Amino acid sequence: MGLITPSSTGNDAEQKPLVPRVTSLEGKHIGLYDNGKPAAEPLLTAVQEKLAQRYPDATFEWYHVEHLNQIKSDDEQESVVDWAENVDIGIGAIGDCGSCTKFLAWGIELIEDAGTPGVGLIDEGFELDYQSNAVERGRPLRYKKTPVRCETTDLDRVREEVSNEVVDGIEEELTRSLNDKERAEQVAQ
Amino acid sequence: MAHHQPREDSISTVSRSLYRQGLTDGLPVIPPTDERVGKMLRGTDKPRDHVLGRLGNDDSPITVEQLASNAVMAGCLPTSMPILEAGIRALADPSSNSIQFSVSTGGWAYQWVLNGSVLDDFGVAAGSGPFGRNTRVSRATARALGIAYRNTTKIYPGEKDMGVMANPLKFSLFLAENETTSPWEPYHVTHGFDEGESTITLGGPNSFIQWESGADSPEAILGGMIENTPPSMVGGEQQGGDFDQTILHVLSSEDLETLAEAGLTKRGVKEYVSENSYIPIEEFQKGVLWDDALDDYHGKVDSRQVPQISGPEYVKLVAGGRSESQSNVVIGPSIGGPVTKKIEFPDEWGSLVTEYAVEG
Repeated sequence: MGLITPSSTGNDAEQKPLVPRVTSLEGKHIGLYDNGKPAAEPLLTAVQEKLAQRYPDATFEWYHVEHLNQIKSDDEQESVVDWAENVDIGIGAIGDCGSCTKFLAWGIELIEDAGTPGVGLIDEGFELDYQSNAVERGRPLRYKKTPVRCETTDLDRVREEVSNEVVDGIEEELTRSLNDKERAEQVAQ
Repeated sequence: MAHHQPREDSISTVSRSLYRQGLTDGLPVIPPTDERVGKMLRGTDKPRDHVLGRLGNDDSPITVEQLASNAVMAGCLPTSMPILEAGIRALADPSSNSIQFSVSTGGWAYQWVLNGSVLDDFGVAAGSGPFGRNTRVSRATARALGIAYRNTTKIYPGEKDMGVMANPLKFSLFLAENETTSPWEPYHVTHGFDEGESTITLGGPNSFIQWESGADSPEAILGGMIENTPPSMVGGEQQGGDFDQTILHVLSSEDLETLAEAGLTKRGVKEYVSENSYIPIEEFQKGVLWDDALDDYHGKVDSRQVPQISGPEYVKLVAGGRSESQSNVVIGPSIGGPVTKKIEFPDEWGSLVTEYAVEG
């Protein structure tokens, strides 16, 4: 008995390689990408403070998406790419809900499109969500799970939650060499 | 044409196989065999490979044949195909924001409203139970559109459908407007369609409140509409967000009659609700996430009260059940659309309706 499939076929995104990582964050111009969720700005602020302590010669440049859904517009996407072309690495936040995790993956993908290595910061409950959205966008984008509570805007609390382990992990994702899958070009999903 | 090859032709075996592949909503399904899908396609004049729209993150195409397969699985009759095709066009319309209410942690439902002559064709034109009860077209159509969207976009629960609480209305919120006893024009006419046309409307709400007005004055009914719209049901652009959020009121025939007899128009009701939706400023933020939601009101509000709903365009009205009671419903907030699409019927529609009248 033949069954007619109810699902879509044949539109899987071709996978592109990730941008090669940097060897160190020393002296780098670091991009901080705020995807418009409430917790993004305090989280990235705490990350910036920690990285500034570790790398006094590093400089920082922010990109704020005013509202989460703005990233759907072509103009906003072009603007993100333009911004990302002028930073050495991009750190994006935050994936702590269904929509924002999807849109964070879109943002990190745009950073990689600009030729800049990127990493997304996500709530640990959204790991599979980020992974599947990243592959759907066309790259196995890197990420670091953080313990920052969903929707929190309490900077002092976020500072406590952004531990040295979290910052170590962010550095790791930005400096660890690409593996075969991440380097591969035109690999079918 | 892709095929699966289950071992047996039983509903239980096929349901289990498709469920394991993530292709069902968990309930048993009718196996979408070549023969059944062929019969379903009697409900359309379009070719099997016609792409009805592109859905989801990567604009996955959905063909007429795919839709028919989902329709068979959900238990639809061929007469549902025109409605389903229009529903897919609504889901594919970017202004429906269907991606967001499919993936959001909020847990949202696909809300459908049916209007026009198609209501007569299915015998759901009037009477009680506009949300369907056991009406096959209501239950199966909403289910078919839900699983068709999921199977096309591959937005699976817990992977990309991140609704924390999920939503029991997700694939079952289907409303047929009670046009026959309404004193006002139907929903689709208000939104630019001809009265003779049939339409389906898509929204993306997360909450459903039923309330009994018990009122004999228009003021009491209007007050009830406002009181039964909690702050958590309101938000969006009018409160500093980045997209519209609308509220849908479904009013009983008796309450509609009371409002109309008082000389109120549909537009007048919407204006009254928005102009009188004041709540204490301390409660305003409960329904929103944005810090700047109250910026427009700073220095301007003496009574420490602000309107929840900033304009009549955020209020939608549909005629509900007949007059056995004064039960009304508030549904919202819709974080998408609502978008309305015209239903296009096949050439043999009349004979098809007659043939399936008993089953439908």
